Amino acid sequence: MRLEKCWFCSSTIYPGHGIQFVRNDAKIFRFCRSKCHKNFKMKRNPRKVKWTKAYRRLHGKDMTQDSTFEFERKRNRPQRYDRINTEKVLQAIPKISKVKATREKDHITKRLSAGRVNRRAEDRRELEQSISLVKAPSVLKEDATLTLPKQKVTVSYAQTENTPMEE
Amino acid sequence: MVKYNFKEIKVVPSGKELVDIILSRTQRQTPTVVHKGSRTKIIREFYMHKVKFTGENFKKKLSDIIDEFPRLEAINPFYSDLLHVLYNKDHFKLALAQVNKARNQISKIATDYIRLLKYGDSLYRCKCLKIAALGRMCTVIKGIGPSLAYLEQVRQHMARLPSIDPNMRTILICGCPNVGKSSFMNKITRADVEEQPYAFTTKSLFVGHTDYNCLRYQVIDTPGILDRPFEDRNIIEMCSITALAHLRSAVLFFLDVSGSCGYSIAQQAALFHSIKSLFLNKPLMIVCNKIDLQPMHALSEEDKRLVDDMKAEAQKTLSIGGDQNGEQQVLFTMSTLTNEGVSTAKNTACERILGHRVELKMKSKKINDCLNRFHVAMPKTRDAKERPVCIPPQVLEQRAKAQEGEQEKEKRKLEKDLENENGGAGVYSASLKKHYILASDEWKDDIIPEIIDGHNVADFMDHDILERVKELEREEGMRLAGVAGDESEINGDDMMPEEREALNAIRKRKKALIQEHRIKKSTAESRPVVPRKFDKDRQFTTQRMGRQLSGLGLDPSKAIERARSRSVPRIGRKRERSVAVDGFGDDSMEIDNEGKGSYKKLRLRSVSRSRLRSRASIEEVVPGKGFKDKKQKVKAIKLGKKSIKQRNKDARKGEADKVILNMMPKHLFSGKRGIGKTSRR
Repeated sequence: MRLEKCWFCSSTIYPGHGIQFVRNDAKIFRFCRSKCHKNFKMKRNPRKVKWTKAYRRLHGKDMTQDSTFEFERKRNRPQRYDRINTEKVLQAIPKISKVKATREKDHITKRLSAGRVNRRAEDRRELEQSISLVKAPSVLKEDATLTLPKQKVTVSYAQTENTPMEE
Repeated sequence: MVKYNFKEIKVVPSGKELVDIILSRTQRQTPTVVHKGSRTKIIREFYMHKVKFTGENFKKKLSDIIDEFPRLEAINPFYSDLLHVLYNKDHFKLALAQVNKARNQISKIATDYIRLLKYGDSLYRCKCLKIAALGRMCTVIKGIGPSLAYLEQVRQHMARLPSIDPNMRTILICGCPNVGKSSFMNKITRADVEEQPYAFTTKSLFVGHTDYNCLRYQVIDTPGILDRPFEDRNIIEMCSITALAHLRSAVLFFLDVSGSCGYSIAQQAALFHSIKSLFLNKPLMIVCNKIDLQPMHALSEEDKRLVDDMKAEAQKTLSIGGDQNGEQQVLFTMSTLTNEGVSTAKNTACERILGHRVELKMKSKKINDCLNRFHVAMPKTRDAKERPVCIPPQVLEQRAKAQEGEQEKEKRKLEKDLENENGGAGVYSASLKKHYILASDEWKDDIIPEIIDGHNVADFMDHDILERVKELEREEGMRLAGVAGDESEINGDDMMPEEREALNAIRKRKKALIQEHRIKKSTAESRPVVPRKFDKDRQFTTQRMGRQLSGLGLDPSKAIERARSRSVPRIGRKRERSVAVDGFGDDSMEIDNEGKGSYKKLRLRSVSRSRLRSRASIEEVVPGKGFKDKKQKVKAIKLGKKSIKQRNKDARKGEADKVILNMMPKHLFSGKRGIGKTSRR
């Protein structure tokens, strides 16, 4: 049993899911769900469809080259079963996938960090420009910080009874 | 060589069918429309084309029929005789001659009428001529109808004739009826001829094929012949006579020694002698059949003598070469029931016919051409080395073992036996992993993992994977350290929480402004512009203003004071109250007269605004200006206000505002009627 990859969106196809299409030239297309299948029938190019892995890789949204990809490679020659090796592999796989996951996350974070800088600059600019909407200019002159003004509240004290303390 | 296979003769249509076919073809494949007003030339051409087309088609069809049927002179004499026997040569020829005559007639008709059509002057006349031409042709065909029917029957019968090759090695089986010819035939060939206990079961020739020494032989089964003068013979017997006469073959004359066919040996011998003229130049064999019923040695003297006579005749046909085995070559005894002697008879027959044919060939002139082509090459010995047969040692061993050891071989325990021991097919399931070749035998029963966490285990298989993973983790550790340093740099320039608060407030304010503007924009057309003094929602209060100003950080108290000072009621409040309680009175008037300012002051009050309006009307009344007293004036004012009220409710700007924004509101002009008619929804 093998877990295959969807031809359109590159997600894994678990057993019992999806459709396989064999073309006349004997090329096999596997789809994880009818969404991908229908897109394929519409002759859409997965490299142009935003939510697919192919697009994301092509446009640099996801990590493309990394040493963790070399661990997973489809071998066409069957190998004899070897318990020791299999045990090692089973131990290794979770570690590899953890490393891969962290690396992918970092890649995305790095990509988005540029935006963070821009956003901060934008916020600052907006604050400087529009502070007059919440703070009167005269108040601003006195207190030049870009914060909300301190509101003056008139407190009316109720007439306190001068009740002598009861003994 | 003319084909002897008559299966490919095309079907002969009957007279009516032929007429239908040709006429419908004419209708379909010639132009169908001509107008009275066209030029004469066109009309003539139109009809001439039709007549010509029909004539040609008839001619073609009839020629086809004539050509397809074989010409009796041109085919093998065996077939021509056979056809004569079956269908009568003269009748056959006559039918074909009639068809030929019809063909010529039709072509003559066609040419005549085409000539006539050349002088046709009107459409009607041309049409009549065409009708006449076609009619005559069809009559001709009708006339040869019976001949066509006969030809069709002949064709059908001819198609079913057995395909006998007159030039192939043939064995002919003949004899009295019911002697066992068909059963012999069935034994040596695959032909499934009917064999029944009654005479004349076989009614026509049957062909079968048999092999001997890698050569194919034709075997022909004939219907039984009776001892009658030649002229009295019926068609069935004539078939066999024809076959005997024409086919160059070995003849097996069947003799029933038991007499169970209904004819004694004497009668059979008589028959033999009457047709022996047909056996000239053919290798002849006498076959005594049914010896299971009557063994040969139990024959009577007379019968033996008759048989010997026949044998003698047969021996005459022997070639000089075969004299040694005279007896065996000529007389056979067999029983088709018990299969005794059947194969010897067949083999000898095949050999004799082959020998006969070879002899003839050798004597003919054509042999020289053949002999040139025969040559057997023998390799010349180049040295004295012996080259014996080579057998691999394993085979020799096996043979030796097989020879010496008839002892039982050690029977390996089969899986099947194992299954039977452990409970049979449904209970025991064989361990397929028993013969796995693995590094250690303990692993044979392991469940091999294929999938883990969405990955295929087989894709990761590598003998040094753990080392690589260790390296990877090391790398990762280093990378993470580097990343942590970068992060701290980026996070420096962040806003303080108070500033963030201010920014949020700014954004909220902006959103609110935009929303307001949008509402205003969307409702601008339909919203009545109500003046501010009828501020029902109490949007414009000093408290609100005060709140907003203090939100901005300013001190609102001064602004509130100013706003309040400009609004009157606060100042003259107390006085107003007392006046209001009393109702009308000269006091109010007097107060009014005091000053213009007080007029205004009295207008607004800080109590409920709705009451305020009604009060105002009472206060304002000033007699004069066309009214006799206050009451009347109040009434007048009231009436005036009443009219305004409805106008304001309709959001009309004034009396003259007759604008209807929507002339045909959809809900009044569309949809099904709940009740009533469309004209009065």
